Order: sequence, then C-alpha cells, then structure tokens
Amino acid sequence: MLNDIYLLKDLSILNAHLAQHYSVVRLAKDTDGEVTWTEQAGATSAPLFGHANLPLTSPKAFFFPEQESLYKFDGKTFETIHPKVKPIVLFGVQACDLTAIAYQDQFFKHDPYYQTRRDSVLLVGIDCEAPCKNGFCAEVNAGPHVNSATADLILSRLKIDDRTNTSEWLIVASSEKGVDSLRDLTLEKADEGHFKLRTKLGDQVRSQFADFSYISNAIEYLNDKSIPAQLWEELSVRCLSCSGCTNLCPTCSCYSTFEVIEAEPISNTLEFETVRCWDSCLFESFQREASDHNPSHKAAQRVERFWFHKFSDEYLPEFERHGCVGCGRCEQTCPGTIGVHSVMKRIDEVCCN
Amino acid sequence: MSQTQVNSICPFCGVGCGMGLVVNDGCINAVKPLSKHPISQGKLCAKGWNTPFGISKHNRITQPLMKKEGVFEVIGWQEALTYIAQNLQKCIRESGSQSVGVISSARATNEDNYAAQKFARAVLKTNNIDHCARICHSPSVVGLKQTLGSGAMTNSIDDVAKADVILIIGADSTENHAIIGGHIMQAKLRGAKLIVVDPRQTRLAQIADLHLQLNIGSNIALLNGLLNIIFQHNWQNDDFLARRCEGTDALKKHVADYPLDKVAELTGIEGQKLVEAAKLYSQANAAFLAYGIGITQFISGTNNVIAVSNLALVCGQIGREGTGVNPLRGQNNVQGACDMGSLPNVYPDYQSAADKKVREKFSHAWNTTVAQAPGLTSLGMSNQARNGKFRGLIICGEDPIVTDPDRNKVEASMRAMDLLVVVELFMTETAKMADIVLPAASFAEKDGTFTNCERRVQLIHKAIEPPGEAKADWQILSEIAKKMGLGGLMNWQTSEQIFDEMAQLTSSFSGMTYSLLAKKNGIQWPCNAEHPKGSRWLHTTTFPIGKGKLIPVDHVPTNEQPDAYYPFWFTTTRLHYHYGCGSMTRQSPLLERETPNGLLYIHPQDALDLGLKNHQAVTVSSRRGYLETRIVLSNELVPGLLSMPYHFKEAPSNMLTNDAMDPTTEMPELKVCAVNIVPLPKNQSPCPSSISTDIEDWVIQ
Repeated sequence: MLNDIYLLKDLSILNAHLAQHYSVVRLAKDTDGEVTWTEQAGATSAPLFGHANLPLTSPKAFFFPEQESLYKFDGKTFETIHPKVKPIVLFGVQACDLTAIAYQDQFFKHDPYYQTRRDSVLLVGIDCEAPCKNGFCAEVNAGPHVNSATADLILSRLKIDDRTNTSEWLIVASSEKGVDSLRDLTLEKADEGHFKLRTKLGDQVRSQFADFSYISNAIEYLNDKSIPAQLWEELSVRCLSCSGCTNLCPTCSCYSTFEVIEAEPISNTLEFETVRCWDSCLFESFQREASDHNPSHKAAQRVERFWFHKFSDEYLPEFERHGCVGCGRCEQTCPGTIGVHSVMKRIDEVCCN
Repeated sequence: MSQTQVNSICPFCGVGCGMGLVVNDGCINAVKPLSKHPISQGKLCAKGWNTPFGISKHNRITQPLMKKEGVFEVIGWQEALTYIAQNLQKCIRESGSQSVGVISSARATNEDNYAAQKFARAVLKTNNIDHCARICHSPSVVGLKQTLGSGAMTNSIDDVAKADVILIIGADSTENHAIIGGHIMQAKLRGAKLIVVDPRQTRLAQIADLHLQLNIGSNIALLNGLLNIIFQHNWQNDDFLARRCEGTDALKKHVADYPLDKVAELTGIEGQKLVEAAKLYSQANAAFLAYGIGITQFISGTNNVIAVSNLALVCGQIGREGTGVNPLRGQNNVQGACDMGSLPNVYPDYQSAADKKVREKFSHAWNTTVAQAPGLTSLGMSNQARNGKFRGLIICGEDPIVTDPDRNKVEASMRAMDLLVVVELFMTETAKMADIVLPAASFAEKDGTFTNCERRVQLIHKAIEPPGEAKADWQILSEIAKKMGLGGLMNWQTSEQIFDEMAQLTSSFSGMTYSLLAKKNGIQWPCNAEHPKGSRWLHTTTFPIGKGKLIPVDHVPTNEQPDAYYPFWFTTTRLHYHYGCGSMTRQSPLLERETPNGLLYIHPQDALDLGLKNHQAVTVSSRRGYLETRIVLSNELVPGLLSMPYHFKEAPSNMLTNDAMDPTTEMPELKVCAVNIVPLPKNQSPCPSSISTDIEDWVIQ
C-alpha cells in the first residue's frame, strides 16, 4: 500500500482529473442548509467534511434505489430491465457510510441490479476530523477514519495552513480501481511518515468522542438476551411504524416488490412491470403471512428484532461486523425518540440494575 | 442518472413537515426528510415517506373525461371547458346563481383556494363555496372566533417543548399528526405531565400520566366539571380573568351546576381523577392544550370548542409560550383553505361576506359585482340538490362520497344535480359520479403555498411536469372563467401573482411575499405592519375582540344513542397509514398492505358476548345504511363502543354516520351514532360497497 500514497495541496486537481472519466457527485449544501449528494462537475472547493456535514441520507440509494424496475412481462415473455448506469465518483464519503456500503456489498453479493450500479461507482472516502453530532462510529469500529478495505481512494487532510488557507492532503489508493483512477495524474509521492501522521490524527479524533460505553454495554445485554420483555413493550409504544429508521439506516436492505400494470393501447394488451421498493421490518404487515399468521404480531417483537439485526453476534460470520455503523441517523429521524442512543441508553439503564 | 432535489412541504396532514422531492428523469421515486425544517427536523411519518406512490403517474387522470351513456370518454380541454361553461350558465339563467357552487380542497394550495372562492363570488356570483373544514374544524373557526377572536392555533408546535403540562382532548395525534405526536412523546420523556382525554385508549393515552377515558359525547360535562373543581379550589387565574376576560361570574355560577358526582356519572370518570387533572392543568406554569375532531364532530361541536376555550381562559393558559388553545388541523392546507375564504360566510382573512362594506371592497378590487346572497355550506348544497334547487357543482380534490356523513344521501344529491364536475388526481368514488372529470396537477407539479396548523405559510415548489394534460386548480378555474366571458377577472400567469393579489386584500398576509417566505422557512400569520416577522403566539397582550369571552355552555346528549335495535355506540377514527378518502395513500403497496384484515374494531368482551371470533365477517347497520366488513379485537375500546377508520371505500363508515348537525356550523355528528352488528353466514366474505363497479374500467380511449 505504501507504494500508492500521494500528497496533493489542491484537491480540485484530483476532482478535475476524475471528472474526465466520471460524473462527480459530492456533498453540497442547498439554500435551505440541507446537505445532499449532488452532481457537481466543476467543483473547486474542498469537500464538505462528515463530522460537520453528515447528510441525513446516506448514499445507499445510489446502489439500492428507493424504487427500481426489475423485469416486465407482456403476457408472453419476461424481460429483465437492466439498470441504466454511468460511471460516477462519490467524492468525499464518510467512514461510517463506506462501512455500510461494504456491508451491503455482502448482502447484495448475488444481486445483479445492485452489482451493476455498484460497479459503476468509484468511492472516494474522506477521514472525519471530529466526532459528529449523533455519531459513535469509533464505538462500533466504523470510523472516524476510513477503513482502506471500504474505499477506492482515501483523502485525509494532514495539515492546514491558516495563512494561505491551503491544506495538504494525503491520498491513498486503496483498491485496484483506485490505483487505475489515478493513472495519468502526476502526484507527489508520500512517505511512511505521512501515513503515520494520518494514524496519529485518527487516534486524536477517536479520543474526542464522548463516553459511549452504554452502547457497548447494551450490545452485550442484547446478545446475552437479558433484556426484559417489558422493556421492549415500553419502547415499542413509541414506535409509530413510520419506517424512517430503516429508510435512513445505511445498512438496512429489506425490500418488497409490487406490480405496475399498464395498458398498451396499440396492441390492446396489458404490460406488467415488477418494481422493488424499500420496505420496513417495523411495519406490522412486513411478516404477516397469507393465513394472517404473523410471527412478529406485536410491535415489541418488531422493535426487538430491528435492534437484534443491528447488534447481534449471530450476523458476524456472514458480515464480519455488526449491522450498525454508528451514524446516529435513526436518533434524528425517529418521531418517537427510540433511535439508537435513546434505546441503548434505556437498555443499559434497565439491565445494569 | 441525473438526480436533483427540490425542497417542498409534505402534502398530507396539517403539521406541514419539510420534504425533499428527489427527481430522477422527470419522476419522483423518493422523498427525503429535511433536517433543517423548523418543525419536522429530519422526520416524516409513514404517509410522508410514501408520498411518491401517492402522486405517481400510474392510475392518474391525465386527460379531461366526459361521461357518455355511463362510460367515460377522453375529450379535449376545449370541449370540456365549453360544456362546463355552457351548463353553468344554463343553471344560472334558469335557476339563479344560488343553484351553482364550488367545493374547494383543503389539499390544494392557498392560491388554488383563493382562485376557487373568487371564481364562486365574482364569476358565478354565489357564496356557495365550501370545503372539508365543514366536517373537521368549522366549529373551531366559529367557536374560537367568538371567544378569542381568531379560529386558529394560538401557539406554535414548538411550544409543546416548552410546556410543563400537555392536555390532549379528542385527538389521536401520534396517528394523525405523527410529528406533533412525537413532540408530545418527547416532552413526556423530558418530564412534562401528559393528560389525555379520549374515549379510546390511544397510543398517547397509554403513556399518559392521566387518561380520562370519558363516555363518548360527554366533553362539555367533563370540561364544565373541571371548571367547577377549579373554581371550588380557587385554582383559577384571577389576575388573568380580571385583566383579559369577561363573563367570569356567569360562568362560575353556570358550572356550579356540574358537581363532581354528576360529572362522574355523565362522563364515567371517577371524581379523584378529575380533581387531579384540574389541578395539574390549572396549576401548571405553562399548559399546552391541543384538541382534534373528537371535540368538533358533534352536534354540540361549537359549544364543545367554547368549553375548551373557557378552560384555558379561566386558568390563564393562553397568550404565553408553552400554552394556548390549539386545534390540530387535519389536512395539509385546511388552515389555508379557511384563511383564503373557501367558506360561504367569509372572504379571505375572515372578512365577513354578510358585511356590505366587505362586499363593496372586493367588488371594487376585483372590478365587478360580487355575490350578494348568503351562501350554502357543502351539506346545504347537498340538501338543496335533493330538493332540485341546487343544480351545478365543481368539486376540486375532495371525495365527499367517502368522507361525508350518510353516504346514501350524498350519492342521491350528486345524482340529482344537472352538472357535476370533479377535478382530481385519481378516479375517486366521487369522480365516478361526475359528468366531467378534469385532470389536476399534484402538489409536486405546481408552485404555491400551504399553511400548516400553526399558521405557518410555507412555499411548495414545482419539481416535475404534471402528467398528460393535467393543470393546477387555479389554472382550470381561470379557463372556465374565460369560457364564461369573464377571463379578465382571473387573468393570472403565476401562482405568485395570485398570492400578491390576496396579500393586498388582507391584513394577516399583507406583509408576506414569496421571497420573504423563501428566506424564512415560512412565516406565521398575522404578518403585517404590526407584526413584520409574523406571529409565533397570538393574543399575548390583548385579544382581537378586546377581552376574551367566557360563554356558559351546557352538556347535550348526542343526537343518537344505543337502543334495542342499534345497541352499540359507534365512532370513527383514522389510521397512521392512511389519509382522508385514501386516494393517495392507498396507491402505496406498503401502506395498502398495512390495512388491517377487518375494519370494525370491537372490545374482546363484546365479541365474546356476541360469539364472534377475531376477523369474523359481519354486517354493521345504522338507521341510515349498512356495510360488511370483518371485526378486529381491540383493547383500545371499552365494551359497548365500536369504531371504524373512515378511509376505505369498500367499507365506508359514512354509510352509517349521522348527518344530524351542529346548529351553528352545520358540522355533522360524525363522531357518534348507534349501530347494530350481525355475523355474516359462515364462509360468506364481506361484500364491498364501492360505487358502481361497472365503471371501474373507466376510460374508453
């Protein structure tokens, strides 16, 4: 890896280079102050940092869209609807979201729609320089610095010169795709010292995180199944089944399919299109069977299952990590205040007594 | 894959959450919550999250349709407009302007609503203009106008966070105003005391400190009882009463007639709980009172609202942060539709249509002669149609067949009309009855403003083109005006021009412009020279009518009560997953899947007594109609009380509901009637009562 580390003062050079081969998608703030992933060909400014600008929606939908046509049937034959893709670079993804993408890569390993979209994307990660508002990535091993297995290129700011308002960036090409993407770009080589400085800066950010031991404790309680059923009842009264947590969770991947039927006036036939859309395990009907039997009939069972999926050790063999990447988005979006911090705090409170 | 995001406002309930519309290739397949929005702060409810389905191009009406021999045929806009104009003119010529009218939409923009009432008053020359506030909060508009001088939420949603005590009466806010429901749950977590008054054990009732599970229809007895306790214990706010109110002595004397034992008997609530609630509310530093249609949808609706207002005034829980009398409005723009004067008795900003000066003002401003005679309410139009006196109606985006009481009567009224025009997104039950159906643009396909229940006027933005030939309501009404030879009256090019015209003719909106609204995440009215930044709180120093009025009101029994033939109480509810007539939310496969297997909720004890099993098929009947559905066992109810959500055309609760009216506002008693249930024969499935299934295949190309 030390062969593929570089230094760069002006990131717009990298931006412009990648723009020759990719549509550049970066975080941008709109006039209402919302941070969203936006296509920006000629951006020259430094990327927005995650710790101050983690977007409320992760890049999940670039690979696994909210709605996606899968195939159609005209009464005689089925035809696959291939996703239309173009090469894009996601420029400046935070460590938590990269961890989530790696997680979903596993889940959708054999899903051709996901993989087609995923193959067309170059991931440029960026190291966070401080903890963000609801984030606890360090507690769940998903940040604040980018894990090199999760990105193609990693950007890390080593120094800021306040006088000239310039920075020195370390660029790590951490995958073959990343190495390829830098071809024909002349860059200054970095050395081991720079790499060590990055590690040191990462440790510094890590030490700035608040005490999230209640999360680690609650993970233990979740796994030794010592949480009283009454607690799930108490929490689940506050679950409105809005689906906000599962929609915003960067690792949630449940979907449903439905049929769109269109009349074809010329041939006077019907065309059926099967579309998949994001679903939510917090819906009562998510697991309801045709017989009306429902293995998670009670809201308490559904809420318990959601957190089990995020923190159970049972998923470690498949994913090599827990399902939660510590972004904290569920805490902000939950109308009932049962996002990750509220729930884990309550579990810790109840179980440690 | 080029993707943009257009920030707008959720089209469902009156909370008015921020919503980013994600546009891909001219379609909206996703929405995002907006983290910086002052109310929703990154949250949406299930309805909001499913918005893309509710406006998707599939199943939308995209061209004008005319019914010929019972079947709809696609026609051109010009043909449709000419037909409508000629037939409206024929009705007016033969039967006068009183024979035609408009029902506007609480889901449409302020601009659409301003255009609708102007079209009625200036083009048709009638005050026959109404909308669904008639059947949700018309008693709030009238009742609070009498007692406080203004019929909207006195405080802001954010005030929930500042209150020590929160009192919720007749509102299932986690289901219907989910984000406000969330604010309330959050307040409870931080230590605020929560009191819920509701005949059902709602979600908030389950977490409340006190749940006053009153007998249905005993609101005034309860509120007068609380007032009597407060006076007896000297818990009233004497200073506030002396400075800001009138009528204290009369009220005190009046409520003395509601002693604890009598109130306990009428409401079914033990006295100790009533005392506790009275103490909590009256002694709080700041108590936030919110109510819903569990107050308004009664024959005593207006008096119920007055009783609520009495309680807040006596305790001085108004005019300060964290307090207030706060009606939770059901629809995204029902506040705005009222504000814009889509009501027979008022022009925009509640300027009285009965006032000659107001009529002269608008005649002058619009350069015409406006309607002179008093107008009919929506139920009035319906009744007159059955008498042959009301002949032509334009309905924009409402589905009275599903949502109005006593469906058989509503259906008969519509059949009796000579001309029924429905402007819609989807082929609703009401649209199926129409002579002409016109394709409407959805909220994502036009510019304009919505006003949420805390009086916040917020901009919505056009994100995509309307499908096919659909247009905004105001554009359609302008075109009809043109065909009637009065196009000059409604000659707007943009929604902003309509807003500016409206702002010039009102006080509460005179300080607002689109550019100011864009800068500030919306502005709460009144916004004028006196309040240039808008108004978070109303009535801080004085009421618009001077002193607050305490008006004694009496408990009246509901119009119908269980008897030997109809032995059960029956009430209507809403589900978190669905909205109104279901025309938008039921397009979502996920929300549709959430629809329960049966729609009649019953206490397990009643089911046991009747020998019914969960999900067993039954018929439900009242004096007005009957329907078939399955039962769902629910502990939210008390024995003897049944409930049904009203969203479903297959089993419309309005087959059963009572249209007995509040004498002041003609609000029907939708919240209570008497019914009977009988099991269907074994193996027989419930038969849906949807309208005219023969025109389900509605379009001939």
